[in-house]
Amino acid sequence: MAERLANRLKELRAVRGLTQAELAERVGVTRKTVNTIENGVYSPSAMLAIKLAAALDVAVEALFWIQQ
Amino acid sequence: MADTSDAASAEQLSRRRARMLPVLAVLFVGQQASYFSGGGSADHPAGQVHVAAWLVLSVVILAALATGGGWIYSRKVRELANDEVTRVHRAHAFRAGFISSMGACIALYFVTQFRPLSGREAIHIIMTVGILVTLLWFAFLERRAHHDG
Repeated sequence: MAERLANRLKELRAVRGLTQAELAERVGVTRKTVNTIENGVYSPSAMLAIKLAAALDVAVEALFWIQQ
Repeated sequence: MADTSDAASAEQLSRRRARMLPVLAVLFVGQQASYFSGGGSADHPAGQVHVAAWLVLSVVILAALATGGGWIYSRKVRELANDEVTRVHRAHAFRAGFISSMGACIALYFVTQFRPLSGREAIHIIMTVGILVTLLWFAFLERRAHHDG
């Protein structure tokens, strides 16, 4: 069965009142990158996943998980 | 953390690039069509101009694809505009371009059994296919990434 990296990025970003551009700026990427991760089009590298989790002040596993 | 003005400039560069790539592809194909409709010869002055223009445009497009373009922007803005997703998109586009070029080589191998082709014509066809597929694939991925889901 195919596995994919699911995330709660959009939800947690909204809770913290951040726009895609603001979050992108905090982790040093463009808004496009945040957009593709939120839409499940792109699975980020471990480094970017950790940066995103830190920017949202949550554990990485609370932000990303493997979906069967 | 990125500076706000740098982030805005990188976003602008990334969007502009995504819009420009298909236009560049049309210009590139148009130039190739003009070369082949003229007989594809560089033996006369007009043909030499065509070949020189083709070489210059090919090198510029390849350099833009390889580096991400936006040479008038600062290094920081260019690095930001060539972030993780962009680098992955570029790698996918180059892979598609390489496979297409090899496909064109195989096709030309069979074509030359029925119709003789000069070395120049073959190089034109292979480079056109490779550059065009890379351009269009990169443009598609970048435009899709910019589109809000």
